Amino acid sequence: MLQIRLLTFLFGTLGLLGQDLWSEISRKGALRWGNDAEGGAPYIYHDPVDVSRLIGFEVEFAEALCARLGLRSEFVQNNWDLLVPVLGTGDAFDLIIAGLERTPENLARLSMSRPYFAFGQQLVVRSNDLALSSLDRLKDRPVGVLSASASQRLLERHGGVRIRIYQDNVNYFQDLELGRVDAVLADSPIVEANLPLHPQLRKAGPFLETGFYAVGVRPTDRELLRRVDAAVEALLEDGTLKKIYSRYGVWGPEQERLSAWRDEGLAVRQRISVWRDWRVYLPLLLRASVTTIWVTCGGMALAVLLGLVLVLARLHGPTPIRWLAVAYIEVFRGTPLLLQIYFIYFGLAQQLGLRLSAGLAAVVALGLNYAANEAENYRAGIQGVPQGQVDAGLALGMTRSLVLRRVVLPQALRLCLPSVTNDFIAMFKDSSIVSVIALVELTKEYQIRAIDTGDYVGLGLMTAGIYFTISYAASLGARHLERRLRRDPH
Amino acid sequence: MIHIEGLTKRYGERRVLDGVDWVQAAGETTVLFGGSGCGKSTLLRCLNQLERADAGRIRIAGHDIDPAQAPAADVLRRLRCGVGMVFQQFHLFSHRTALENVMEGPLHVLGRLQGEVRQEALDLLSRVGLEGHADQFPHQLSGGQQQRVAIARALAMKPQVLLLDEPTSALDPQLREEVRRVLRGLAEEGMTMLVVTHDLRLARQIADRAAFLDGGRILESGPAEQVFGNPVHERTQQFLEEVHS
Repeated sequence: MLQIRLLTFLFGTLGLLGQDLWSEISRKGALRWGNDAEGGAPYIYHDPVDVSRLIGFEVEFAEALCARLGLRSEFVQNNWDLLVPVLGTGDAFDLIIAGLERTPENLARLSMSRPYFAFGQQLVVRSNDLALSSLDRLKDRPVGVLSASASQRLLERHGGVRIRIYQDNVNYFQDLELGRVDAVLADSPIVEANLPLHPQLRKAGPFLETGFYAVGVRPTDRELLRRVDAAVEALLEDGTLKKIYSRYGVWGPEQERLSAWRDEGLAVRQRISVWRDWRVYLPLLLRASVTTIWVTCGGMALAVLLGLVLVLARLHGPTPIRWLAVAYIEVFRGTPLLLQIYFIYFGLAQQLGLRLSAGLAAVVALGLNYAANEAENYRAGIQGVPQGQVDAGLALGMTRSLVLRRVVLPQALRLCLPSVTNDFIAMFKDSSIVSVIALVELTKEYQIRAIDTGDYVGLGLMTAGIYFTISYAASLGARHLERRLRRDPH
Repeated sequence: MIHIEGLTKRYGERRVLDGVDWVQAAGETTVLFGGSGCGKSTLLRCLNQLERADAGRIRIAGHDIDPAQAPAADVLRRLRCGVGMVFQQFHLFSHRTALENVMEGPLHVLGRLQGEVRQEALDLLSRVGLEGHADQFPHQLSGGQQQRVAIARALAMKPQVLLLDEPTSALDPQLREEVRRVLRGLAEEGMTMLVVTHDLRLARQIADRAAFLDGGRILESGPAEQVFGNPVHERTQQFLEEVHS
């Protein structure tokens, strides 16, 4: 009896929580809206005059919306990719105002207000590439899009081009200038704000598609949605939106569609079961894991070789070389891999004109970073070989380098193989970090598909299964190699 | 064959060797003994340049060594090829079999051919009584067997002089005899050996002459029977009594 009463109470409370978000909000007098300050101009960015202040047409829209609702505006920072899942599961913010497109995919996952902004999908190319002015002409060429955006979905539906996925609105224009991608497909406000900074780039053709941004709320928060709808309509009618958007240069003729908008009841896409459709999703993940594998193998090959050079320099080099090796090891171990990746991909291109492809940059960054670890692994292995055997080699008339080659290194290899294997498996998992430079590897593919389908668990299990299978195969292989190297088991 | 004059070696302030003079003819076997820290091992290591002395002159196996200057690489190589060394702790290459340990020097230092080196190495292993153990790894062998492989490894270079640093002291007493037997055989064949040891039974069996090292100097030397049987110096007597007891 008690249990039933407890359950009823719990469900009652949960139900109330859903119903009562509006009264909770009005009691606190503040509306928490989620967005990602990395979004950039003209959406949301730091005021160049006062860098502690966030500005942008979405910031001002959010503030106007809150004012209209009689609430204080409270911005909550959240990774853009993850705004929708976080809204669904957490209590971090009440709604999303973050250029969220009113698409069937999004409507399957959350409720959306009436639109507050109309945009078009604009293709951007280099001014001198006269031939590349439509998607069909970009067949098999790399095109940059924002991760989990309507542009990405458009390209996926269209097919034919090589989609390069970026985490933010800024870097793909830079890569377009540098020739790493041949076009960018982005929402019109992004293009309007960024083209003035990139005189070598131009818009190609009319909008490929048009769409709307709308406020996202949890499906259970109906009262909140109703009030947001009314407030957006009022802001549109009294000209507030036009005033705000004009300030940021994003009020164009397309915004006329806002007042004409009627909810036509977009076909809401059904939640997808990745288990039923595993024939679709497993191959996608497997294809992405190929990127993970070659990035890891390339990175490890570089790390293993460079690590050897470093350890020999450190242990046997002349003094200045020794210092350089120590400095290298300490710097690469003491700074974040993420920073090193940015530096190698963007920094080298900007400062030295050295334009590595994303794949090469990933391999180089992982390799340079892990070389420091490998050098330390080897050092432990080399110092684990008894000095007496070195003396014995020298006493036979061997030179120092022959002793190193015939006596020390073969045994050091055997001693450090387990830690090198560990590093290989660690790098295999660390390699997911390279998705920041527009490489879609296994984790990124998982993230994209999970956001699309909402099935974090099913896809997660598939992805984990792939990671585990490969890691386990690698450690079995290493164990076999260890046994072969250690013909004499100590 | 070995001619040492005024050999001096310091570690910081401490004089480990303090003017050692020593002459040894070809075919002779001599034993150096003395308390721990008296400089015996250092002396051996200076002779094949695993360590550099600070002063004095060394002439060994036809090579002149001036401690004042680092020897050239090829001089060093020829010196070490002519002067074999056997260590207290054997120091076999633990990733190689007994046979590979013996073949390592001739193959990779002398650059000789696999086929003949292999046959010689097998002969050497049977000479030290290890016919059946060619393919075993060091950890599969007893201490006495390992030391015999180490002796074979040194002999494979066909050295003119063999330096042995306490060759039996890391072994259980019952394993010492097999090493003594091998060394006795070498002495009888006329190998020139300089042996640092406390193993008086070994010393009596193989030594032509003996020397007592104390405080970095040779305190007493002479025919082995005389030094062991009837030592002149009080400290030598004392030391021999302690070792016996």
